[in-house]
Amino acid sequence: MSDNQSRNVWIKIDNPLGPNTLAKYKDIYEDVLDDRRLSSDLKFCLRNQENVPKFKYNTERSSSDIKEQVLKSDRVRYVIEHLISDKKSDKASVEKEAEEILAEMAHNFNMGSIRFFAFFMVKVFKALFRRVYVNADGIQMLRELIKEYPVLFIPTHRSYFDFLLISYICYEYEIPLPAIAAAMDFSNMKFFGWLLRQCGAFYIRRSFGTDKLYWAIFTEYVQSHIRNGDRPVEFFIEGTRSRTAKSYVPKVGMLSATLESYFKAEVSDIMLVPISISYEKILEESLYAFELLGIPKPKESTSGLFKARNVLNTDHGTVHFHIGTPISLRQWSVDGNLDRIVHSLEPRYINSLTDDENELSKKLAYHLVLEQQKMLVLSPWTLIATVLIQAKGGMVHIKELSKEVDWLKRQLFNLGAYVDWPANVQVENVIEHYANLHSNIVRVREDGIFEILSQNSVKRGKKLLQDEVFLNGATNVMLSSYRNQLMHVIVRVCLVSVVVNSCQSTSLKIVDMLEQYAFLERLLSREFIFISGKTKEDFNNAVIWLQHVGALHIEDEEGNIKFSLNKHIAFFSAVLEPFLISYWVLCQHLLSLPVDVHGRALAKKHKEIAIDAQQLGLKLLQDSVIKNHEILNLDMLSNGLHSLIDMGTMYKDKRVEENYVSPNHRLVSGIAKKLATLVETPSWTQIGNYTNKPITQSLSSKL
Amino acid sequence: MESDKKPTLTSNNCAKAYEDSLQVPESASAIPKRRQDLLKWNGWGYKDSHFFVNKNEQGEFTGERYNISGTIMPGMKDFMMRKVSIDLNKKAPAQPELTARDIPVPITNNEFTSEIKKAGISFSDDAQDRLFRGHTLHEIFILREGRFERLPDLVVWPEKHEDVVKIVELAMQHNVVVIPFGGGTSVTGSLLCPVKETRMIVSLDTSQMKKILWVDEKNLTACIQSGIIGQDLERKLMEKGYCTGHEPDSMEFSSLGGWVATRASGMKKNVYGNIEDLIVHFKTVTGRGVIEKSCVVPRMSSGPDLHHFIMGSEGTLGIITDVVMKIRPLPECRKYGSIVFPDFESGVKCMREVAKQRCAPASIRLLDNDQFQFGHALKAENKSIISGFMEGIKKLYITKIKRFDLEKISVATLLFEGNKSEVAAQEKRVYEIAAQFGGIPGGEENGQRGYMLTFVIAYLRDIALDYKVVAESFETSVPWDRLLDMCRNVKDRITRECKERGLQHAPYVTCRVTQTYDAGACVYFYFAFNYIGTANPVHMYENIENCARAEILANGGSISHHHGVGKIRQKFLEPTISAPGVGTLQAVKEFLDPKNIFANGNLMIDVKSKI
Ligand SMILES: Cc1cc2nc3c(=O)[nH]c(=O)nc-3n(C[C@H](O)[C@H](O)[C@H](O)COP(=O)(O)OP(=O)(O)OC[C@H]3O[C@@H](n4cnc5c(N)ncnc54)[C@H](O)[C@@H]3O)c2cc1C
Repeated sequence: MSDNQSRNVWIKIDNPLGPNTLAKYKDIYEDVLDDRRLSSDLKFCLRNQENVPKFKYNTERSSSDIKEQVLKSDRVRYVIEHLISDKKSDKASVEKEAEEILAEMAHNFNMGSIRFFAFFMVKVFKALFRRVYVNADGIQMLRELIKEYPVLFIPTHRSYFDFLLISYICYEYEIPLPAIAAAMDFSNMKFFGWLLRQCGAFYIRRSFGTDKLYWAIFTEYVQSHIRNGDRPVEFFIEGTRSRTAKSYVPKVGMLSATLESYFKAEVSDIMLVPISISYEKILEESLYAFELLGIPKPKESTSGLFKARNVLNTDHGTVHFHIGTPISLRQWSVDGNLDRIVHSLEPRYINSLTDDENELSKKLAYHLVLEQQKMLVLSPWTLIATVLIQAKGGMVHIKELSKEVDWLKRQLFNLGAYVDWPANVQVENVIEHYANLHSNIVRVREDGIFEILSQNSVKRGKKLLQDEVFLNGATNVMLSSYRNQLMHVIVRVCLVSVVVNSCQSTSLKIVDMLEQYAFLERLLSREFIFISGKTKEDFNNAVIWLQHVGALHIEDEEGNIKFSLNKHIAFFSAVLEPFLISYWVLCQHLLSLPVDVHGRALAKKHKEIAIDAQQLGLKLLQDSVIKNHEILNLDMLSNGLHSLIDMGTMYKDKRVEENYVSPNHRLVSGIAKKLATLVETPSWTQIGNYTNKPITQSLSSKL
Repeated sequence: MESDKKPTLTSNNCAKAYEDSLQVPESASAIPKRRQDLLKWNGWGYKDSHFFVNKNEQGEFTGERYNISGTIMPGMKDFMMRKVSIDLNKKAPAQPELTARDIPVPITNNEFTSEIKKAGISFSDDAQDRLFRGHTLHEIFILREGRFERLPDLVVWPEKHEDVVKIVELAMQHNVVVIPFGGGTSVTGSLLCPVKETRMIVSLDTSQMKKILWVDEKNLTACIQSGIIGQDLERKLMEKGYCTGHEPDSMEFSSLGGWVATRASGMKKNVYGNIEDLIVHFKTVTGRGVIEKSCVVPRMSSGPDLHHFIMGSEGTLGIITDVVMKIRPLPECRKYGSIVFPDFESGVKCMREVAKQRCAPASIRLLDNDQFQFGHALKAENKSIISGFMEGIKKLYITKIKRFDLEKISVATLLFEGNKSEVAAQEKRVYEIAAQFGGIPGGEENGQRGYMLTFVIAYLRDIALDYKVVAESFETSVPWDRLLDMCRNVKDRITRECKERGLQHAPYVTCRVTQTYDAGACVYFYFAFNYIGTANPVHMYENIENCARAEILANGGSISHHHGVGKIRQKFLEPTISAPGVGTLQAVKEFLDPKNIFANGNLMIDVKSKI
């Protein structure tokens, strides 16, 4: 581009980042679709499978062999016998139940379907994405790994397309397609539910807490795949698709059930391979947004997925698919001083993981999530979103925006993130490109002003949802989900910035800072992934970084820290503001609950509390007492509530199946006060007007 | 087998081929008092018997003692090049015989020595006598290439129980360390002298206590001095028409006292029992006097069995002297056999079934594919694997009809003993079970050859060392349900540990199942690697073997089935028997040996118990 750019030069270029400008090879990545655009899809899906590597101890078996072996396994027999002898059931009916469970669960992997799948998916992907970038070194590594070890794929989960992509990429690179642990809801999707099962997906119920038979069958089914190494086993450690595009707190149950095979020395090691999939534009973005607002989601369905927003005709930009460095469970256990000898005294099919093993699995789960995060690719759009959220009134001029985004880009590079920033393209052009890609969220006016759009009203059943605050909220929640994609890079710096920003004087003792930091970390531990026991290290690193960029200065030996309020502190503390204000509102809601003679509020279900707090937020928004739309995000409110529970500030009341909680007023108000010192909140009196009024109208009744 | 020099097997198969294979000369004892006159001082077995690669680059075994002696094995070199990557041009020759100047100056205790002299007990401080020790890799490697930091200062040769009592009394009196020495076949470092020991160390060599004191035909027992070595014991009893049936693979050289002290196991335990089943009574000379029972009875209930405390004590509590053992009439018939299985797994399943039905023949062993191939490499003539192995069996049948994959098959070797009809019945039953698991009979020669190879296998380590390959075996016991996983995981682990240590060549790891029990089996591993490019191969070997042991324990296996703990497995003792367990052993040691004169440092000694 020439030097003499006019202000609006970027507008004149149709598509500065069109497909032609995106290279097939980029850094360590290569585009899988490129060859497919040039060759026959039919040939592709019919190619032979001779080069697919195999686990060295694998014995060939069919899907029905697997089922049969699982039913006959010691583990399942043992549980069945127990159920019979506990008089819970008679033989015939338990066995029948076992067969039914397995039939509902098992995959039906077969090559014919895979070919069909490949044929079909390659077309879909070519329509959806410009490029699907895969790190080639990861592929090579996987192909070798598969031969030597049982392998677990642990991908991030942000979209339905995750498992389709993984299987497709495996097919493309001649890696055995994984057996995928998928949630039962997917099995009900008409065509996909079936197709996925043919392609190796097996379906697990969402909750089966104490159902011993189910647990035994599921464990055996998974472990059987591990032991025989039929194919990699894939599951989503976050348990479900992350609606917020941040990593969810990992679920350990499935992981430890899988790792048991190693703890009990059935296999000599298991390799865990984190996989990070970064989408420039998430297909389900608006579905998620409404779901987060509490609008009931339509049932999972294939047509829902594709029709939702005319998906196939929408440009979804590029995808980055990064296969991470495998983690050896053996190494992890050796480092964790785990001694497997403890399992020598019992038959191995009896469920008996030790506390140490559960603890180790949990640590590993967290570690895996951090590993996934490290390899996520940040689209420039996530930077734009982050800056836009801070824009006053939801509007900002492109010049200003460019400046800020450019600044943020440098910070992120500096923090070691991979930002997919195109080389040799003007910032403004990049921004314009992404504005086009996300034209459902933002608009660039003729005068160069960026503005955030409100979402179109949506139909749910017969009702039409058209509340303005709400539809604005939807856009904001979408935007915040893109911001969330970079939060893992900056969150620790943000926490320190909040602490510094809130300080009244110009210097602070480092120990006091750490204390406040630790408080914030605990409070936000459902929101972001922190490793327990690493608080101090994380804090120190963030302080060092801020020092490095000139935001802080260590003043003396005693660890007094001096600072001037500068750009870094201001920006990074502002990023965290929506979270803190939402949590504060949640506390206010809890404190406003009427109490009985003992000073206790009526215990309520988690969900109810979150919805009521959202309601309070909605009113505050409507009256512009607060401006933060994220208060409407139920996920955030529920995270906040769980943190309060974790921190012991809530009374727990376990009733049949569900947990009821009520606030400990003293403790919750302590948290609220602390939050008020860290972030600017509306005054007490302002809030008082709202919280004393009984809540009459609930959100769903507005629909 | 047609090329073996002495086709000893007659058609009725109940001939004395087996005894012949031991090749015992007529003298009173097969091994002289000065062992080094007949045996290698720095390697395994007889001086006249060893493997080497001849001018035509073919493997050869010298001497006349074994069936394989004097034969040329064209496949051997190739096998060694393939499996352990030897380079014929890269040799690590052993150092010449050591002299007094090369070994530590003996620590003396003149009072003790003169009292020994006075008592008329034979002794020596000759360098060669002091140097004859155990057969752990560590020891052999030092003899070949290094220097010992500590050796016994004196060797004494008691001839009877009373001599031992005298020696122990004197040792107590003069605070001298006594390390019992039987046949020196220990593979656990149990005969190594603690480097830090500043007292005089006496090696109490039991080899001259080699008499059978009496044979009681009514009760079928015999009282035997503990220094007798296996081959002498069996030969002498045979003259009277008896045997003990205790045949560890080291029986040519290992002693009765050594067996008791290590809880040894013989290959024919299915008929005769392990050492603990064979022993009726024995005396142990301790620092507090002689421990023994008052009667020679088959069983008694008199509190915890003291025999079991001393069996396996590895020389830490006292000296075992006179042992009363069960004897059996010689079997009328002895017959070998073998079975070919499509793979190791089906072989294991078959063994499990045989154990379940309690119809195991005197010996049943299962070799994995690598070991089977190895056996083939030691064949006299260079034939294809299958024709070499499958004499008398149609090659077509195995490969075409049964579709066996030669890279997967595994082989069981069998030894039946009893009268003719018993043997016939046993054979029938075992082969029937084998058939259920896809096993087909592989002929008698192969079985016999398998057992013969057992004796010469020990000679291989010396040629391996010649070509810069360290090798050792280790064993364990494991429950049936874990056996296959354990074998696979241990091999995997070793391979990976070698790789992680940057060894240039993949190791050779193979295993075999050597004993079956109701509740599990004994598994033997052979592990060798080419150490070119490594600074301290023995140290590396020990590290890797420790990893393998840790893997075994994690897989539900034991610290050892019969070799014992010695020094090399001490760190696994406490995890195996619990801290109070170690404490108990230590307490007994403290009582019986208050001055710690049996300070060989084995077992629980020096283990820091948490108690
Ligand atoms: C090639 C080979 C094959 C083997 N095969 C087998 C086998 O099949 N089965 C098996 O069980 N083992 C086997 N072993 C191991 C070894 O042979 C046994 O441990 C054997 O029992 C040792 O006997 P030894 O007389 O050689 O004792 P040594 O090696 O001399 O001593 C072993 C230990 O016992 C102590 N000891 C020796 N004699 C006495 C005594 N009279 N009183 C008190 N303590 C004493 C010593 O101090 C030492 O601690 C094998 C070893 C080799 C090298």
